[in-house]
Amino acid sequence: MKIHIEENKHVYWNPYFGGLILGLVILFTFYITGRGPGASGAFKSTIVTVVNDVAPTHAENNAYYDRFIKKGDSPMNTWLVYEALGLLIGGFLSGALSGRLKLFVEHSPKITSKKRIIVALLGGVFFGLGAQFARGCTSGAGLSGLAVLSLGGFITVLSIFGGGYAIAYFVRKNWI
Amino acid sequence: MSNTYKIKKVVVKTEYKVLAAILIILAGGLVLLPKYEKNSGIKPESFLLNIMSTERYVTTDQIANKMINQDPNLLLIDVRKKEDFDKFSLPNAVNIPLAKVLSSDSEAYLNQDTYDVVLYSNDNCYADQAWQLCNRMGYKHIYVLKGGLNEWFNTIINPQEPKITDSDLAFKDYNFRKAAAMYFGVGNKTNTAPKVKPKRVIKLAKKKKKVAEGGC
Amino acid sequence: MGPLIPNGVIPTEWNFVIAILIGIAFGFTLEASGFSSSRKIAGVFYGYDFAVLKVFFTAALVSMIGIYYMDYFELVNVEQLFVLPTYTWSAIIGGVIMGFGFVLGGFCPGTTLCAAAIGKIDGMATMVGIFIGIFLFSEFYDFIEPLFDGSYLGRITITDSLGISPYWFIFLFTVFAVIAFYFADVIRKRVKKVFY
Repeated sequence: MKIHIEENKHVYWNPYFGGLILGLVILFTFYITGRGPGASGAFKSTIVTVVNDVAPTHAENNAYYDRFIKKGDSPMNTWLVYEALGLLIGGFLSGALSGRLKLFVEHSPKITSKKRIIVALLGGVFFGLGAQFARGCTSGAGLSGLAVLSLGGFITVLSIFGGGYAIAYFVRKNWI
Repeated sequence: MSNTYKIKKVVVKTEYKVLAAILIILAGGLVLLPKYEKNSGIKPESFLLNIMSTERYVTTDQIANKMINQDPNLLLIDVRKKEDFDKFSLPNAVNIPLAKVLSSDSEAYLNQDTYDVVLYSNDNCYADQAWQLCNRMGYKHIYVLKGGLNEWFNTIINPQEPKITDSDLAFKDYNFRKAAAMYFGVGNKTNTAPKVKPKRVIKLAKKKKKVAEGGC
Repeated sequence: MGPLIPNGVIPTEWNFVIAILIGIAFGFTLEASGFSSSRKIAGVFYGYDFAVLKVFFTAALVSMIGIYYMDYFELVNVEQLFVLPTYTWSAIIGGVIMGFGFVLGGFCPGTTLCAAAIGKIDGMATMVGIFIGIFLFSEFYDFIEPLFDGSYLGRITITDSLGISPYWFIFLFTVFAVIAFYFADVIRKRVKKVFY
C-alpha cells in the first residue's frame, strides 16, 4: 500500500505552541477590552440585520430579534462582527503563507463530497441552534468563559464534549 | 505486521516534560503566593496630602450664592443625627448621619460625578470626618462647609455689621449677606408660613465599577 | 490598570480597531494550528488526532493562569472582566446540541470562518447551516423562551458556586490537563492511523 508523503501543506504548528499563542491572544484581549473573543455572535448579528432589512415589522414583533435591534444603529455594529472580519483575514493570511489555499471539499475517502456537504450543513444547523441556547460557542463560551472561571462556560464545554462523544460512534462512517 | 496487545510505553519527549513542569509550577505558584487584602480606595500618601490641603473648604458665602442662584449641581448633605436635622437644616439638604456615610444607600449620593456634594454639620468636626471617609474611598467632588451651621448663622442669618473702618469688600459682603438672609426667610415678622420651595428632585446615578460588555 | 478600555486608558473608539487586530491574530493561530481542516478537528472524537484537546486546554490554562497572575499583581481587576451569565439548563441543552453539530460538521463557528477563508467548501456549507440554525431558533423563540431564560444563576464563577478558591481550581485543572495530554498520546499510539 503506497503511503504518499504529504508535502508542506500539512505542516501545522505544534498544538501546544498553538495553544500557548492562543492563550496569550485571549489574555491580551481580556487585558485590553475586558471581554474575551467569540464567534457565534457575529453570525447572529448577520441574521438579525438581514431579517431586519427584509421584514422589519416581523423582526420587531419577534421577541428574540428585538433584543438585538438598536434604533438608529445597525445590529452589525458590534465588537464580534469586527472580530469575525479579522478572523477571515487572519485565516486567509495563514493559509496563503502555508500554501493551503484551495477550493475543495475535504471529506473522508469513505463518503462522497455531496454527502459531506449535506452532513456539514446539518451539523451547522445543530450548531447554530445550540449556540443560541448556550449563549456562545466553543470560543465565546468555552475559551473566554473558562478563562475567567465562569460556571456557565464550564458547563457548556463539558456538555459540548459530552454530547460529541455520545454521538460520535453513530456517525463514525463520516470520518474514519 | 503482528499486533502485540501490550500497552506500548509512550516515551514523552523531554521538552514536553519541561513544559508540563513549567505549567504545574506556575499554577502551584498561584496557590502558594501569599494572599493579601487588596486596598480599595486611594493610596495613603495621596490621602495625607488631601487632608492637609484646604481645597475642600467652601465658605458660607459661596454656598448662599449657589443656593440663591439655584445652582443645579449643588447637593447639600447634613451629616448630623436625624433629630438635629429635623429641627433645623438648610433647605433642600439631605440627611446622611455620620454613622451611615459608608453604607451602601449613601453611596448613591456620595459616589457620583453629577453633583458637587457639600458636607456640613454644626461645626467642622463631623463634616471633616465624613469628608475623610469619602476621600479615603476615592469619591470625588466632595467639599466641606467651613464653620458649618454655626458659621452659617454668624454670617448669613445674623450678619455682623462691618465697622466704618472696614474695607469696601466687607461692606459688599455684608449687603450680600443681608439680602441672602431675606431670601432665606429671616426677619419675616408676619405670621404667614414661609413659602415652601418645591423640593428638589435629586436624580441619583451611582458610579458603578464599569464592567465590560460582552456576550455570545 | 486593566482592563484598559473600560477604565478609559484607551479611548473607546479604538475598540473596533482592536477587535479586528485580535480577530486577525485569532484566525491566524487557529488556521496555523490546523483548525481549518474538519478531519483534524473531528479527530478528537475518534482518537486519531487530539489537536483540539491540546490547543483548547493549553489556551484555557495559559489565559486562566495569566489573568489570575495579573490580578494578583494588580494589573487587571478580575471583577471588571466579562463573565458569561449562567443559565443552567439552557447551557446544558445548548452544549449537547452543539456537540451533535460539532461531530457532524466538524467545525465550530470560529473555525468555519478560517476554513471558509481558505476555500474549504464544507466550511462554507457549515456556515450556511449555522445561519439556518440561528434563523430557526429565532422563529421558534416563543416556544423556547421559558427554557432559554430559565434557571438564571447570575454571572457567577466556579469560585462562587463550588466554594473552591480559584487558585486551587486552576492548579487542579492544570494537573488534570497534563494527565489528559499524556493519555491523549497513549490513545493516539493505539488507534489506527488516519491520513488526511
